Amino acid sequence: MTAVLSTTGLTRRYQDQLALDDVSIDIEEGSITGLLGRNGAGKSTLMRIVTGQEFASAGTVRVFGESPVEHDAVLRRMVFVREDQVFPDFRVRHAVKAASWFYPRWDEELAQSLLRDFDLPDKRAIKKLSRGMRSALSIVIGLASRAELTLLDEPYAGLDAVARQLFYDRLLADYAEHPRTILVSTHLIDEVADLLEHIVMVDHGRVVLDAPADDVRGRATTVSGPARQVQAFVRHRRVLHERRIGARMAATVADRLDRDDQAQATAMNLKLEPLSLQQLMVATSLDAAGDHPGGNDAQKEDIA
Amino acid sequence: MNTLVKVGRYHLVDRISFLILPLGITLFSFAINLLLFWLVVPEPEGHTGGVMSLFIYMAVIGALSATRSLPFGLTLGVSRRSYYLGTVALAAGLGVAFGLWVVLMQLIERLADGWGIGLHFFRVTLILDGPWYVSWLTSFVFLVLMTAYGLWAGLVFRRWSVLGLVTFIAAQVLVLVAATLVITWLDGWARVGEFFTGLGALGMTGIAAALAVVLLGAGFATIRRVTV
Repeated sequence: MTAVLSTTGLTRRYQDQLALDDVSIDIEEGSITGLLGRNGAGKSTLMRIVTGQEFASAGTVRVFGESPVEHDAVLRRMVFVREDQVFPDFRVRHAVKAASWFYPRWDEELAQSLLRDFDLPDKRAIKKLSRGMRSALSIVIGLASRAELTLLDEPYAGLDAVARQLFYDRLLADYAEHPRTILVSTHLIDEVADLLEHIVMVDHGRVVLDAPADDVRGRATTVSGPARQVQAFVRHRRVLHERRIGARMAATVADRLDRDDQAQATAMNLKLEPLSLQQLMVATSLDAAGDHPGGNDAQKEDIA
Repeated sequence: MNTLVKVGRYHLVDRISFLILPLGITLFSFAINLLLFWLVVPEPEGHTGGVMSLFIYMAVIGALSATRSLPFGLTLGVSRRSYYLGTVALAAGLGVAFGLWVVLMQLIERLADGWGIGLHFFRVTLILDGPWYVSWLTSFVFLVLMTAYGLWAGLVFRRWSVLGLVTFIAAQVLVLVAATLVITWLDGWARVGEFFTGLGALGMTGIAAALAVVLLGAGFATIRRVTV
C-alpha cells in the first residue's frame, strides 16, 4: 500500500496557540480514515493545509507524492467538503455545474441522483438553504467529484438522521464501486465507527492515536463492580478514567485484556465492557486534559 | 478546457453581478440623465460623464471576485495563481466587450446629436472623446484598472480583514492629501492641469496602464498569502 497523503512534522501556529503540533501521519490509498478529536483539536486546520487553503508554519505535506501548495495538478485530484463552506451568489444547480467543470472524474448522473435523494431544490439560491441542505449540497459535490482523495470535514452538520443514513449508504455504495481514499472528521463517532478502517485521533494539535480501527476497538475496557475489587484489578494497569458512586466504581483501563484477565475479572465479580470509539475518544481527551486522578501525559503514548 | 477559462466561466455563472448589473446600472444612470436634461435643458450642451458608473462598478466586480467567490473557487481545486489569472483574464475580456459597447454608444450619441439635447453621457471631454479606437483602448485600460483596484482591495480584506482594509484606504487618503498639499504649496495646480491636458487621451491611458500593472502585481502578491 502506498500513502496518498503524508505529513511530516506538520505544525501550524496562530499567534500564541499551536493549532497543529508536529503532526506526522500517512493515509493509505483506498481506505476510509476517521479523523477524530474535540472542537479545536486541529482537524479542520489539518484538512485545510492538506488542500492548500491554509499554510503550514513548519513541516511538510505530500499528496500523491507532491506538495499540494499552489499545485493545480495535485489540487484537482482532491475534493474538500467543509462544514463552513462559503458559496458565491449561486443557485444549487450552478454550484453543481461549476464543480463539474473542475473535476476530471465527475459523475453527473451520480450528482443528479444525489440531489434527488437529498431533496435539494436545484433552482433555490444557496444562501436561502438551511444548514442541513447546504451540508447536503457539499456532500453531493464531494461524492460526485469522485476525487481520488476525498476530505470530508464534519460533512453532515445540520443533517437529520435520515439524511445522514442516506449519506453513509451512498458513500459506501460509491466507495465500493469506485475505490478512493477518504478522510472524514466528525463528532458523531459511533455513527461512522463501522465505516472506518483507520483512526487518527488528534488532541490539542497533536496526534494521540494513529492505528487501524480494528486495533482500536477493544483497546480500552471499562471495569465496573465493587470499588475495592475494581481497585485491586486495575492497580497495575493504566487507568484512563474512573468514577465512583458509593461503594461501586467504574474504571476505564487502556490495556488490552487477554483471556486470563477476563477470567480474573469474572472471578472477582467484575463487569467488563469494551469502549466504543466515541467513548475511547472522550476518555483519551479527558486524560490528555489531566482531568482525572490517574492522568499522566507521559503515559499517553501507551495507548497511541 | 483550460483552467483559466474555467475560472472565467465560474465567475460568469453569476450573470447578474458580472454582466447584467454593469450594463444595467450604466443604462439606468443614462436614463436618469436623459430625463433630467430633457426636463431642465440648462445649456446647449450637457457634460455629465455618467458613463463613469460603469468604470466604478468594475471595482465592485473585482472586489466580489476576491471575497465572495474565492473560497468556493479554491475548494474546487484551483490554485490561487490560476484563480487570479483566470479572474484577470475575465476582467480583460469584459474590458474589451464593455469598451466596445461604450464606443458604440458614443457613436450613437454623436450621430443622434447628444440624444437630441446635446447630452455628453458616453463621451468624456479630453479622455473619452477621440477616435473610436483610442476610446476603445482607453475604456479597456480603465475598466481593467478599476477591476484590478477592486480585486486588490478585496484581497486585502480577505487577508487582513477590516483592519487591513481600513489601513489600505487610509494609506491612499494620506497619499492623496500629501499630494494635494505639496501641489498647493508649490502653487502648481495650473501646471498639473496643463500636464494632464498635454498628455491627451493616449498619455493618460498609458499612465493608467502602468498603474493597472502595478495594482495587478500587488493583488497577485496578496492572493498568494490569502487563506480561506
